[in-house]
Amino acid sequence: MAVPVQYYLVFSTLVFCIGLFGVLTRRNALFFLMSVELMLNAANINLVAFSFYHGNLTGQVFSLFTMALAAAEVAIGIGIILVLYRNFADVDVTSATTLRW
Amino acid sequence: MIEPAWAATAPALVVAVTALVLFLVDSIDPESNRPALLSGVALVGSLAAMGVALVYLLTGVGESPVSLYGGQLVVDQMTLFFHVIFTSVTTVVVLGSHDYLDSHPYQAEYYILMLLAVTGMAMMAASGSLAVAFVALELASLPSYALVAFMKQNRGSVEAGLKYFLIGALSSAVFVFGISLVYAATGTLLLDGIADQLVEGTALPGVLGVGMLMLIGGFAYKTASAPFHFWAPEAYEGAPAPVSAFISSASKAAGFALAFRVLITAFPVASAGVQNALDWTVVAAVLAVVTMTLGNFAAATQENVKRMLAYSSIGHAGYVLIALASLTGTGDQSLVLGAGMIHLLVYGFMNTGAFLFVALAEYWDVGRTFEEYSGLGTQAPFVSVAMTVFMFSLAGLPIGAGFLSKYYLFAGAVNGGLWWLALVGAVNSALSLFYYSRVVKALWIDEPDEPHTIESYPAALYGAIVVAAVVTVGLLPGLFLFDGVAFDAAAVLFS
Repeated sequence: MAVPVQYYLVFSTLVFCIGLFGVLTRRNALFFLMSVELMLNAANINLVAFSFYHGNLTGQVFSLFTMALAAAEVAIGIGIILVLYRNFADVDVTSATTLRW
Repeated sequence: MIEPAWAATAPALVVAVTALVLFLVDSIDPESNRPALLSGVALVGSLAAMGVALVYLLTGVGESPVSLYGGQLVVDQMTLFFHVIFTSVTTVVVLGSHDYLDSHPYQAEYYILMLLAVTGMAMMAASGSLAVAFVALELASLPSYALVAFMKQNRGSVEAGLKYFLIGALSSAVFVFGISLVYAATGTLLLDGIADQLVEGTALPGVLGVGMLMLIGGFAYKTASAPFHFWAPEAYEGAPAPVSAFISSASKAAGFALAFRVLITAFPVASAGVQNALDWTVVAAVLAVVTMTLGNFAAATQENVKRMLAYSSIGHAGYVLIALASLTGTGDQSLVLGAGMIHLLVYGFMNTGAFLFVALAEYWDVGRTFEEYSGLGTQAPFVSVAMTVFMFSLAGLPIGAGFLSKYYLFAGAVNGGLWWLALVGAVNSALSLFYYSRVVKALWIDEPDEPHTIESYPAALYGAIVVAAVVTVGLLPGLFLFDGVAFDAAAVLFS
């Protein structure tokens, strides 16, 4: 392997942390979705890199599943954000406060 | 054994096929709303699945685990035991939903989503690899988000759906990152394969430890335990009450089914790799204490019955975590794991029944707080007796099977050397009696400000509550006869 596998681990952890930071700080629900996508793709980087490292295809195949599920999750998420917008006229995740936190 | 081998997954298949049949029924005539037909099909499907699961469990189909598709799916007695929990909860909830949904549009979608979620839960209990575990977890979660936000004109329901989705998406990302780290350390996703790799230890114990911690985070979300419990009070309060019943009973059991299987099969505490990386029984013990204390104290301060039940649900997740924490390798492992499974079974009925009583109260528009429930005992004595049974059983009084399952759990913890954890559980249990009995006091003793006007007594919802109550009480003597099934099912996992 041209690039040592630890570098991929550091890279994916960075991407994961950027996603996590976005989840914790962004108030716009759509940015939230993008941040979650980053976190899921960080896992994909690991899976593909270590698939190569271990010399089996399990990780690569599973990363395809992860992508498909990420797409499904976004579809549901967009639907919920749409009804959020219709009810609260906003996509700010902190504006919906009829229930107590 | 069963021939052909795939027939072992029949409970999940029956549920999935029922969902597809509902698709078909709805697509023939999508405009007209036929509540009786739709709920009837869903009820027959879930009853059939429950029947198959019960027959399989009692005839011992999974006594020697059936391994399918190269070990991706595993059907053993524990899988079947959890299938019984999921399908029986679904049966009761579907029955109760018939009246609750009344003339609400999109009823077909409601039942389809619910049955697909059950399919996912059934797969979770049968997953033999982390890949299947993740796909099944998502199949169980995604329909649940939509179900919570089902009342899309209702701001509470939408808000609950949003919060459930946000925390669900976050924790599933954490979960899949954990899977990728475990894969990085071991090079396989099969649970048995991971265990084989860890016998000798691993070159990356740190990576494995973080990965396991992240997997536990995913389980914590699904079971509504600390630290990923924030969604639970919101989602349960805002969601339609039958959906709250479904998520808090079936979904929690599914999370525990997955946690039991993954942690016990893939990360045996005794193996060198796990010893170097992370002793998850310690994590489970800490989470158990935090979860039950937090759940019970927060429940004690609530004014809203549904929200109180939500926090009590978090508390009960803490009790079941005792089972995980006690798997330290000392004492009778299958005893304490079986106790956890029995508690989930009993909890499935008593908690579903309690939430369906809330559904009935919402149906009657009596309000949501303790005060507004006062005087219901004289107006609707029959279901109020049932609710009293649920409350005392949840608190652990020997009126329902909740007493026995808690007793098994605490006895198992003492047996595993964690007497202090059993003590914390017992203290929490005593505290819980306070807020559960507030409901009973409101129902029977308090005088209402103005009498409720109850116009109709919905038969199906009544039926569902009565079924749940009868099973809750019936399991008390029943468990003496059948607890062996659970302990044997748990023992299969350790053999």
